[in-house]
Amino acid sequence: MMSDTFEPKIVAFVCNWCTYTGADLAGTSRMQYPANVRIIKLPCTGRISPLFIMKALEQGADGVLVSGCHPGDCHYTAGNYHARRKYTIFREMLHFLGVEPERLFFSWVSAAEGRKWADLVAEVTDTVRRLGPRRSAWGEPVEGIAAPRLSANPVPFEAPAGTFAAQAEAMREKAKALLAGGEVGTVIGYEQGTLPGTARPAFVSTPEEVDRLVWNEHCHQNLAVYAARKPAKPGKVALVVKPCDERSLVGLLQENRLAREDVVLIGMACHGVQSEGALAPRCAACQTRTPALADPVIGEATPPTATADPRLEQIARIEQMAPAERWNFWQGHFSRCLKCYACRAACSLCTCERCLAEKAQPRWIPAPPDGAGNLSWHAVRAWHLAGRCVDCGACSAACPADIPLYLLNLKLAQVVKDAFDYEAGRDPAAAPPLTTYREDDAQEFIR
Amino acid sequence: MAKALRTEALLDFLRAVQQDARRLVAPVEEDGLRLFRAVDRVEEITLAEGNTRWSFKEVLFPRSEALFHYRLSGGSVALQEPDQPEGETVVFGARPCDAAGLAVLDAVFAPNGRPDPDQAPEHEDPFYRRRRAQTTIIGLACLEPGPACFCTAVGLSPTGTAGSDLLLTPLPDQGVFLAEAVTEKGERLLAAHAHLFTDTDDTKEQATRAAEGRIQRTALSGVGGPLATLFEAPPWEELAARCLGCGACAFVCPTCHCFDIVDEGNAAGGSRCKFWDSCGFALFTAHTSGHNPRATQPARFRQRVLHKFRYLPERFGVQGCVGCGRCIATCPVNMDIQEVVAKVTG
Amino acid sequence: MANVYLPYLMTVAAVRDETPDVRTLRLEFQDESIREGFRFRAGQFGLYSVFGQGECVFCIASPDTRPGAIECSFSYRWGGKVTSALSRLTVGDTMGFRGPYGNWFPLDAMRGKNLVFIGGGIGMAPIRSIFETALDQRAEFGDILLLNGARSVSDLVYKAETEAWIARDDITCVKTVDPGGETPEWDGKVGLIPKVLEELAPSATNALALVCGPPIMIKFALESLAKLGFGKEQIYTTLENRMKCGSGQCGRGNIGGCYVCKDGPVFSAAELEQLPPEF
Ligand code: SF4
Ligand code: SF4
Ligand code: SF4
Ligand code: SF4
Repeated sequence: MMSDTFEPKIVAFVCNWCTYTGADLAGTSRMQYPANVRIIKLPCTGRISPLFIMKALEQGADGVLVSGCHPGDCHYTAGNYHARRKYTIFREMLHFLGVEPERLFFSWVSAAEGRKWADLVAEVTDTVRRLGPRRSAWGEPVEGIAAPRLSANPVPFEAPAGTFAAQAEAMREKAKALLAGGEVGTVIGYEQGTLPGTARPAFVSTPEEVDRLVWNEHCHQNLAVYAARKPAKPGKVALVVKPCDERSLVGLLQENRLAREDVVLIGMACHGVQSEGALAPRCAACQTRTPALADPVIGEATPPTATADPRLEQIARIEQMAPAERWNFWQGHFSRCLKCYACRAACSLCTCERCLAEKAQPRWIPAPPDGAGNLSWHAVRAWHLAGRCVDCGACSAACPADIPLYLLNLKLAQVVKDAFDYEAGRDPAAAPPLTTYREDDAQEFIR
Repeated sequence: MAKALRTEALLDFLRAVQQDARRLVAPVEEDGLRLFRAVDRVEEITLAEGNTRWSFKEVLFPRSEALFHYRLSGGSVALQEPDQPEGETVVFGARPCDAAGLAVLDAVFAPNGRPDPDQAPEHEDPFYRRRRAQTTIIGLACLEPGPACFCTAVGLSPTGTAGSDLLLTPLPDQGVFLAEAVTEKGERLLAAHAHLFTDTDDTKEQATRAAEGRIQRTALSGVGGPLATLFEAPPWEELAARCLGCGACAFVCPTCHCFDIVDEGNAAGGSRCKFWDSCGFALFTAHTSGHNPRATQPARFRQRVLHKFRYLPERFGVQGCVGCGRCIATCPVNMDIQEVVAKVTG
Repeated sequence: MANVYLPYLMTVAAVRDETPDVRTLRLEFQDESIREGFRFRAGQFGLYSVFGQGECVFCIASPDTRPGAIECSFSYRWGGKVTSALSRLTVGDTMGFRGPYGNWFPLDAMRGKNLVFIGGGIGMAPIRSIFETALDQRAEFGDILLLNGARSVSDLVYKAETEAWIARDDITCVKTVDPGGETPEWDGKVGLIPKVLEELAPSATNALALVCGPPIMIKFALESLAKLGFGKEQIYTTLENRMKCGSGQCGRGNIGGCYVCKDGPVFSAAELEQLPPEF
């Protein structure tokens, strides 16, 4: 039997002040506990980044334990409260990706709780030993299990006749007026693409060029991605935005990437947009069809076609899968990832000056587009967008490999909503969920 | 005399080919996209018209590969050559544009194969070279080029033979594929499966004319010439304002070949890996000091265009873009290289 | 077929601090036959690796007349992953080298000529290689002038060697630091390289100049040389780009249509003028 001989490797990240001292106490009191746990000491759980957990798994840990001071006892006041929020999301994410949740442990162990530490380590070791070795390496599929496929049911696209043309006309008029007024130097809108049934971003800087601008069901890109770029022409930038794009602006305002007066927003009341001939998945149940932040709002919105978001059903189906199936579902998709970073480039909220993917000292994300590198990339990107992603769909639309990135982002948005009652991109004055905490945040998963 | 393969016999042929080679790579459907994959059963292969999402270049130039492995212990280092397990490979369903694109990869990675004595044969990519020698390309001519296709605009044809060892052109009215052996490898393939092929008087002329007629995009004449003086002149700023700086265009392209090298591993050892990179990325040419010779996205997009349409022809005597249209269709913001080149040279 | 990516294993035989952030390593080939057989030409470059960290590119800083070992000098000021790792190596450690790559200084054309060598900061590394190569065959050349300049005294590389060169009477060696970079004990010149060069005023007749340093220094040094009557074919310099393969494949080495790794790194001022402004 495997379990007779299997000695799991378990990595414990512990804070210096409480748990480490507690572990020390267990040692000096000569309490017996298994030697499978390698302890890595950090100043505070606030410093125990979820990336550490990911790296430990990438490097082959069979289980990971994170432990720090009890709520209220943090040496740095609130490091553990912040950490608790992070682990809440990260843990759910790993679970959704197919990491067995039984391999991840979180606890509060004080300096006086030597006994608790010894018992905890014994329990953790025992649990992981019973689970057995990880069923595959980081980023490799579990052998012998086919990657399940999900098929989406495309919703046919319908927009009320004539709405687009009238809106387009009004939008162009507005754009001309802005450019003629002199304050706005560049209008970023849409023009016809070079392939049938496509539109693409267009930069225009004179009233004459405005005639190129179009507005129709193909205008799916989120132009907020250009909002924080320095325009080539002097003057402000005016952006043509849909309500979902506008949520990106809210995020940029919250994160001080932009001031509201830096940009003019030409808001388009929305009828939904197309992707690959059908209604874009995010549009079916989208409830916000009228821009809230924009300067002028052009046109009138049409109500959603569905009452429930069809993507939630896909998420539910993934959640019904066993961990190994779920893992293989994602590996199947991620194996196609080219690491072209179009998802990042198209995302208006991927604003880091230097992405973690490009940092080499240390290298959190293996650079090559292979199993480990791709899985880490997707985990990190989703994690960094958790509580920030506004569900604009730009990343999924940009992906040449058709990886359903939205499922991961949306799942984390759900987690954030459930745990912290927060929705990204709604309120410019709200504190983003990972910049704050509540003392009574839920913590059932922490022992 | 040309040979013909009955349409129904195609799978028999491929099955036989698969038995002889270690690997058969062909277009299959996966999660709604068409991709080249090593196939288990020839029935999985799709013959749908149009290009796969990205080319089959990864058969020869994998998106990631180990150049060597290293083990570290104490102060000592042991290096070990990687295995190359692929072995004899047949690619079926290479479209004429992709097959023609091999000329670029050959020129860059295996220059010694070219009969140009001026090109110092100093540096070859041994991995590419080995794989190339072990790979046979069965091309499949296009009857229905799509809206992004412009092979004819760069002097190629939807039924062209360049780069294929054996080219099959479907002649649906006759119920056959016309088979043309282009190289010795192709001849051998025909000879080995001679019982499946018959002599024929059919030609692909009409199919060629029809297919070429479907390509709407204008010819890019004088490429190389006008571009030679256009480093500063065209309004690259305007042309590339919307470019996002991702690598999608490069990674789907059959001829893009930029790569990066990093060491991946831990304290005990690891591998030095070579993997795809893109000139569109902001950090591609950035020095550690922060200096970046191509500091802006327009400068990087210019590199992409000029590399294909000027530097490669000038430097290696090959056409850098084969007009497959993939970058146009894949780019999240529809940067259209054919449109751009037509504009700046027109 | 040989795996061109497989580096030679090298032992660090000596480590020398040139400045607070520039270091020189002396590297010996571990394999005896390579140690005997390895040849390069002054001006060529190589890729140096620390296993587990990666590779980076610099010129070979030692003369091509002394086989058996090579030296490289590198700055780790910017804290790059590989340069930082190189700066942590100590004597006896194993690291990797592959090369040589690229073209070299026109030694044959230099024979019989008066030579002016100008190095600014870490740009002295390739200059040192060709300069010492020339010194090792001193009789083959006319007058030799070396100008070694840096921002400050502490940034001056090859200090000890520079003193030895100054002491020689068969060559002229001048050291200089930028105004403000001098110390009370400084016994060299104070002035920007182009200005000192104009003061020294070497004759352009039957002469070649080899210049290497930061781009801005090169620019002004070229202007000064022009004033002194040096034609564009009489001036050589080296360029540096980020590279991965060393051989024109990885897509980084080009400046416009020119591949620094294959056509360079050594260029004449006339060739330089033809390059688009992309470096
Ligand atoms: S992660 Fe994707 S859906 Fe979310 S904001 Fe970024 S581009 Fe939009
Ligand atoms: S866009 Fe798609 S293929 Fe490109 S890096 Fe993102 S997930 Fe991978
Ligand atoms: S051209 Fe398109 S695909 Fe290429 S880098 Fe720019 S945005 Fe990305
Ligand atoms: S540049 Fe674009 S059209 Fe040309 S070969 Fe590459 S992907 Fe195809």
